[in-house]
Amino acid sequence: MILSRVKPAVGGEAPASEKKKKNKGKKTSRVEDYLIQRDYLGAITLLEFQRSAGEREEDADLWLGYCAFHLGDYRRAMEEYRASTQRSGCPADVWVYLACTHFFLGLYKEAEEAALKAPKSQLQNRLLFHLAHKFNDEKKLMGFHQNLEDVTEDQLSLASIHYMRSHYQEAIDIYKRILLQNRDFLALNVYSIPDSTIALNLKACNHFRLYNGKAAEAELKNLIDISSSSFEFAKELIRHNLVVFRGGEGALQVLPPLIDVISEARLNLVIYYLRQDDVQEAYNLIKDLEPTTPQEYILKGVVNAALGQEVGSRDHLKIAQQFFQLVGGSASECDTIPGRQCMASCFFLLRQFEDVLIYLNSVKSYFYNDDTFNFNYAQAKAAVGNYREAEEVFLLIQSEKIKNDYVYLSWLARCYIMNKKARLAWELYLKMETSAESFSLLQLIANDCYKMGQFYYSAKAFDILERLDQNPEYWEGKRGACVGIFQLILAGREPRETLREVLPLLRNTGNPQVEYIIRALKKWAKDNRVSL
Amino acid sequence: MEKAERQKTKLITNQPYDESLEVNDSEEVASVYTPTPRETVSRKSRRQLRTMANNSSDEYEEDSKPKKKETQPAGQQGTSENEEEEDDDDDDDDDDDSDETESDEDEGEPGSALEGAYDPADYDHLPVTAEIKELFQYITRYTPQTIELDHKLKPFIPDFIPAVGDIDAFLKVPRPDGKPDNLGLLVLDEPCTKQSDPTVLSLWLSENSKQHNVSEVKVKSLENPEKNPKVIENWIESISELHRSKPPATVHYTRPMPDIDTLMQEWPPEFEELLGKVSLPTADINCDLGEYIDIICGILDIPVYKSRIHSLHVLFTLYSEFKNSQHFKALAEGQKSDTLSVPQSGTGDPETLTFD
Repeated sequence: MILSRVKPAVGGEAPASEKKKKNKGKKTSRVEDYLIQRDYLGAITLLEFQRSAGEREEDADLWLGYCAFHLGDYRRAMEEYRASTQRSGCPADVWVYLACTHFFLGLYKEAEEAALKAPKSQLQNRLLFHLAHKFNDEKKLMGFHQNLEDVTEDQLSLASIHYMRSHYQEAIDIYKRILLQNRDFLALNVYSIPDSTIALNLKACNHFRLYNGKAAEAELKNLIDISSSSFEFAKELIRHNLVVFRGGEGALQVLPPLIDVISEARLNLVIYYLRQDDVQEAYNLIKDLEPTTPQEYILKGVVNAALGQEVGSRDHLKIAQQFFQLVGGSASECDTIPGRQCMASCFFLLRQFEDVLIYLNSVKSYFYNDDTFNFNYAQAKAAVGNYREAEEVFLLIQSEKIKNDYVYLSWLARCYIMNKKARLAWELYLKMETSAESFSLLQLIANDCYKMGQFYYSAKAFDILERLDQNPEYWEGKRGACVGIFQLILAGREPRETLREVLPLLRNTGNPQVEYIIRALKKWAKDNRVSL
Repeated sequence: MEKAERQKTKLITNQPYDESLEVNDSEEVASVYTPTPRETVSRKSRRQLRTMANNSSDEYEEDSKPKKKETQPAGQQGTSENEEEEDDDDDDDDDDDSDETESDEDEGEPGSALEGAYDPADYDHLPVTAEIKELFQYITRYTPQTIELDHKLKPFIPDFIPAVGDIDAFLKVPRPDGKPDNLGLLVLDEPCTKQSDPTVLSLWLSENSKQHNVSEVKVKSLENPEKNPKVIENWIESISELHRSKPPATVHYTRPMPDIDTLMQEWPPEFEELLGKVSLPTADINCDLGEYIDIICGILDIPVYKSRIHSLHVLFTLYSEFKNSQHFKALAEGQKSDTLSVPQSGTGDPETLTFD
């Protein structure tokens, strides 16, 4: 019932033949025909034609402004209204129309100036209300809020402010109430309209969330196909979303000019920079953003976490942790995947790995092949001593960048050693270039292997350490490890032939104890017929 | 054993994340519920926790976590939770400051509890000489260092965020005539997807109004035409539609018709002479339109077949030829005599031929 009532105004299919018929009708009513179809380009063309033919419609400028405005061509609308205000006898209300066009062009200062030249009206108050929001002027905001009346337009305007300030429940309440009062206000129920740009775009966005970028792009393609070539409305939105659906393709060309036009554009550019590992650029873009939505809090957290770790700043890490906690603990986000990721990140920064695991475990099925997730997950598992699973998860990681990260190498080496696979840890060392990090890895292998009674690789590591740095401690370690190997041989846990490798290791050190130990080993070898 | 004892004697105080479980007396509660993952958070019980974390399967943790969330009442709990987190956080800062001691302990713990760690007691039984036993002392004389490893949080990068557009804020200009347009109420305030092409529409308008050259026709250009075949097709389609609506430039007669030049030949002199005395029958003649057409066509040597349309077309084409002919124009203006402009005087007066 309701649908059929609205359809004629919506449908874009019928007009072709109808239009011609109507063309024969009275001229004054023809602009109206285009307006009913919301074919504003058609209306504008007709108005211009009449203007050039010398037919002076009443208020032609205002009609042109009206059409351009609803077409989304705010610049054109601004020009028409500005011209109108300069004519004598222009109604004073036109100033607030001009202000509206300024508003949509992002010219907020000009919008305010123009609006204040108009007499008081509901529209003027709504506009000033929104301007106060843009200016972050809470005091004015409250003032204009109080002037809002209990009429549909004012209430819907208020709902949009609630929405922008992330007060979703308040916004929903208003929409519900108005829908109850006016069951035919279908526009509030966007999804039900078949060939609406807004609805189709919304559908594409949902497909993106539910399925993937490809499905979403297909939906958007649909929209591009049915719309006529001269259709400019929402083109920026579509361009923006194509970048999103294509995983950031063309981000640097499309997104910068859209910053502050489409609120998501800045966030997406930040995400793009993060993906490119350009943390500094990401930070520059977001540092002055006052977060209001969960997405903004999350991104600020992520950027601060990345930067804090990169430059070693505790301040950034602290901010990151607080933002993560705020989102992860909020009623709306605590059960979403990003919310759980936030909590995990928060506890990770606090080094509370048991808690990290609780949260990561709850979402791990969504991230089986995600290197970033696995890197954090494996570290947390290793940190609580679950080296077996930690090793498995570390080995799932494909990214070469992560695999060459010392944090990865050292933790994987530790896992190997704890899981009695010291040889694999040693191979990690062998593959490294000589550096401070390879030196650290040697220390790790030497000591962790010692702890785990894997004396062969401990001795080899201490041997090299000792050659690099004449620290007597390394000799003590090597001495113990070499004797440890001997003990393992005696216990039958290490082949006797390994003893042959022990002697040169010992001889590398010029210490009197060496001869004593070697003598004892040789004696045993002789007694047990082991050739050295 | 030792661990079990400690667990028994430990005073359990409520922790911020403890979940409250309603225990139905008649029902036995599975033991698996007793230790909530949250309980393990308490720092003092880390040791137990570690063993638990090692033993417990992921499924268990996964199950218990969302349950905890569900039992949380929405509003108030949220804030208290935050406060608790804040405390935790401060604690931890302190911890970080005294990093060494705390973490040494930390790492030491799993080490000592570590499965498979070196234990000299395992080798006490070896039948060795005193000398070798003495040698073994070297093993325990070195205490392996605990190497502190860095952690690195690789922050999760959120998905790109699609934009659904702004909510209608009702900052819109009204119709100049003050009528309600219901935009944003009954229909979305968005232009329909199929907008008229301004160029095509202007052409239509000037065609329909017969006011050619009234407005400059905007010519648009297209970048990357090879990528936009649809745009070009649409353009061609709309222009051919426009042309279809115009009267065709030529008409194909189904039956033979004399050509216009022949019809423009002079009448025989006797007939011309007669025309000087008698005028051709006007539309006032007492007959119907069809008969009148037949009469006129007959006089002008235009054959009439079943349909008069083609004959009329020939008739008007003839008229238009005379009207546009420079030669006859000059003649008509120069010597207002009817001698040479017979057909013109006969059929010439436009009024007589407009069948309104």
